[in-house]
Amino acid sequence: MSKVVNAQGLSCPQPVLLTKKAMAETGDVLTIVDGTDQAENVARMARKAGWTVQMDGKEDGIYVRVTRPQEAAEPLPMGTAVPAGGPLVLTIPEDIMGRGDRELGAVLIRAFFHTLTESTTLPDVIIFFNTGVRLVVKGSPIVEDLQALVEQGVEILACGTCLGHFALKDQVAVGQVSNMYTISETLLEAGKVITL
Amino acid sequence: MNYGVVIFPSISHCLRGESLVQAAGLTCKLIPVPRELSSDCGTALRFNWVERDRIAAVLEEAGLETEGIHHLG
Repeated sequence: MSKVVNAQGLSCPQPVLLTKKAMAETGDVLTIVDGTDQAENVARMARKAGWTVQMDGKEDGIYVRVTRPQEAAEPLPMGTAVPAGGPLVLTIPEDIMGRGDRELGAVLIRAFFHTLTESTTLPDVIIFFNTGVRLVVKGSPIVEDLQALVEQGVEILACGTCLGHFALKDQVAVGQVSNMYTISETLLEAGKVITL
Repeated sequence: MNYGVVIFPSISHCLRGESLVQAAGLTCKLIPVPRELSSDCGTALRFNWVERDRIAAVLEEAGLETEGIHHLG
């Protein structure tokens, strides 16, 4: 039995939430959204759950079809802790490193990301929020370092609400525009979280 | 890439150096001082070694104090 979720006209977390709800009821969900951000967020959530994703850009919207593979594991019951050994997550809550002097903090964060590109231990995910999102947009001094990290397989998530607040949503130069559902899930499922 | 670094006595020297180098149309990148050069937690400017003389000239012309220019092996 398939289910259609019409999420057109709905903004950021709603399409993900509605799709997730439908996925609890059936193994075949077609979600229709307006924009690529919403489509990507739905797709990412479904892939994370181990579902197959097909995206189709049509005139009236983007059709995201997610299907549960035959052998997919049952979802974990609510409140089940994910065992340690999950992803290494780095959070960047500000556009500087540390609190206190801004000029110094701006230098430190550049030095930190340069060092990260040369590190053998890399985070699985880096989450930028609040003024941290200024680091993923055009003109940020660390865009090239972040691109190098993406090429090495690091996932970069930038808080969409925060980008919106600073009117930077159309300036994103690297990473994915994400939402609080993905961000909180990523944090809760992490093996280790490091906050700069 | 064949790189060199300029080491400065302070972060403000380093930032001033960065803007001088960029204003001269040259490229550089602010990085931590490589471990093999100093164990201090300083910052340095990394540049393409072929531009060593031009960068040294820009900094000298502005009278900006440095703690040396090194080739990164």
